[in-house]
Amino acid sequence: MRADDGWLAVALVPLLALVPVLWRVSRGAPEDRLIAQNLSSLLGGLALLPAAQGFGRPAYVDVALVLSVLGPTGTLIYARFLGVLPGSRLVRRTALLGVPAIVLPLCVAAGPGRAMAKLLLIGALLIAGSVVTGAGGGRGRKAAADGGRTA
Amino acid sequence: MTARGRLWLFLVGAAAFAMVFVTACFSLPPFGSVHHPYGERAVRAALSHHTANVIASVNFDLRALDTLGEETILFAAVLGTVVLLRQTADEQRTRPEPAVVRPRVRWFALAMLPFAMLIGLYVIAHGQISPGGGFQGGVVTATALHLLYLAADYRALERVRPVPLYEIGDAAGEAAYVVTGLGALLAGSAFLANVLPLGTFATLSSGGTVILLNAAVGIEVTSGIVVLLARFLDQAVEIGHADDGNDHGNDGKERV
Amino acid sequence: MTDVLIVVALLLVAGAATAAVLNRDPVRQALVLSFLGLALALLFTFLQAPDVALSQLAVGSAVTPLMILLTVRKVRRRPGDSTDKGRER
Repeated sequence: MRADDGWLAVALVPLLALVPVLWRVSRGAPEDRLIAQNLSSLLGGLALLPAAQGFGRPAYVDVALVLSVLGPTGTLIYARFLGVLPGSRLVRRTALLGVPAIVLPLCVAAGPGRAMAKLLLIGALLIAGSVVTGAGGGRGRKAAADGGRTA
Repeated sequence: MTARGRLWLFLVGAAAFAMVFVTACFSLPPFGSVHHPYGERAVRAALSHHTANVIASVNFDLRALDTLGEETILFAAVLGTVVLLRQTADEQRTRPEPAVVRPRVRWFALAMLPFAMLIGLYVIAHGQISPGGGFQGGVVTATALHLLYLAADYRALERVRPVPLYEIGDAAGEAAYVVTGLGALLAGSAFLANVLPLGTFATLSSGGTVILLNAAVGIEVTSGIVVLLARFLDQAVEIGHADDGNDHGNDGKERV
Repeated sequence: MTDVLIVVALLLVAGAATAAVLNRDPVRQALVLSFLGLALALLFTFLQAPDVALSQLAVGSAVTPLMILLTVRKVRRRPGDSTDKGRER
């Protein structure tokens, strides 16, 4: 196994974790589906980062950068229309454990510089997005209160 | 046409397509081989024009005319949406109730907005040297603006987003692409040819006209998506039938 | 190793696309579609096409869901639908 293959093997872990997530996103209660959608973008980001390193293409982390911004945005859009933002300890734990576990070794491999700053930014965005969208807090007041024409 | 007739028409069409498709597939270079006739030429052309991202070179230099077509498709699609989703005579606009958003979500969306916008602009600006470009970055930038809708409500978004300005931006982006192409004609070369100084390889100013065309697409896509979503939001949030007085109170919380 | 990643991503794409077809409710379909978009973005990246992956992500993760959900909301609010036939579907 070459050194590159090691990083690609790391990318395989979150990728395989997406298989049960696909099951949850296509079956089950609305809350579960939304949590699964939230988790999928986090796992996607975690798969893209080591893959970029494994391919030896640091520019590929831009895909993870865009995902780290748009993933939580998508979740919030669904939450707005479904009227729920279910909390999920799974999402929070995956973010708080998985992101440092993958980003910090990548930072060591990248060495100090612009690439490292970018990796840390992506990691911070992934954690922030997952913590905010996964923190829960029951049903939104909005959905419970308003009669319909809410923006 | 009867259901049977439609089925036959489909089967004949599908069979003809399958035949042509399979024939075409057999003429392709083998998958995963080391020999890429088009790729080698494209990479050579991109490097000779100091464009590090070969895809950007293909999109905005080698096949700039194709991209003009794609840009025009988006332009026409947005125009069609604007016409279809306009407010008609039997529809009236009502002010929606302000939405109540959880403080955490509001805070997060507002904090994310500048980041998302910056990332969108970064993706546009680095189109010629790293993956991305006007289209991808433009969509991200337009999405970033709508974080304001998630942070507050549609009225807050409407206050800071003058749609006429974005409509002008949409048209200006499209026009800028054509004008850049015509500029090449004036410079004594072909339409959309790369006539500008090529700059230093792998810097923000490299690539000649690639930068201008990329920026034009960025402006057009950003504005186009904003206008597109504005029309959808208008219809879904504000515009209702004139006789739609009694709201039944299901909308904020569609159950799946 | 790249081949393994590509095969897993391909399976995810096939699974998500099938699930999107099997779900009948537009909102559920939109959720599966988001997943499909992500799986496609991963596949494109593994196939060394990050530009396409970025396009897919940009369009598929926020703009498409927003447009689908706004359309669903508009269609479900049509007058007359609230009383009888809107509930049956």
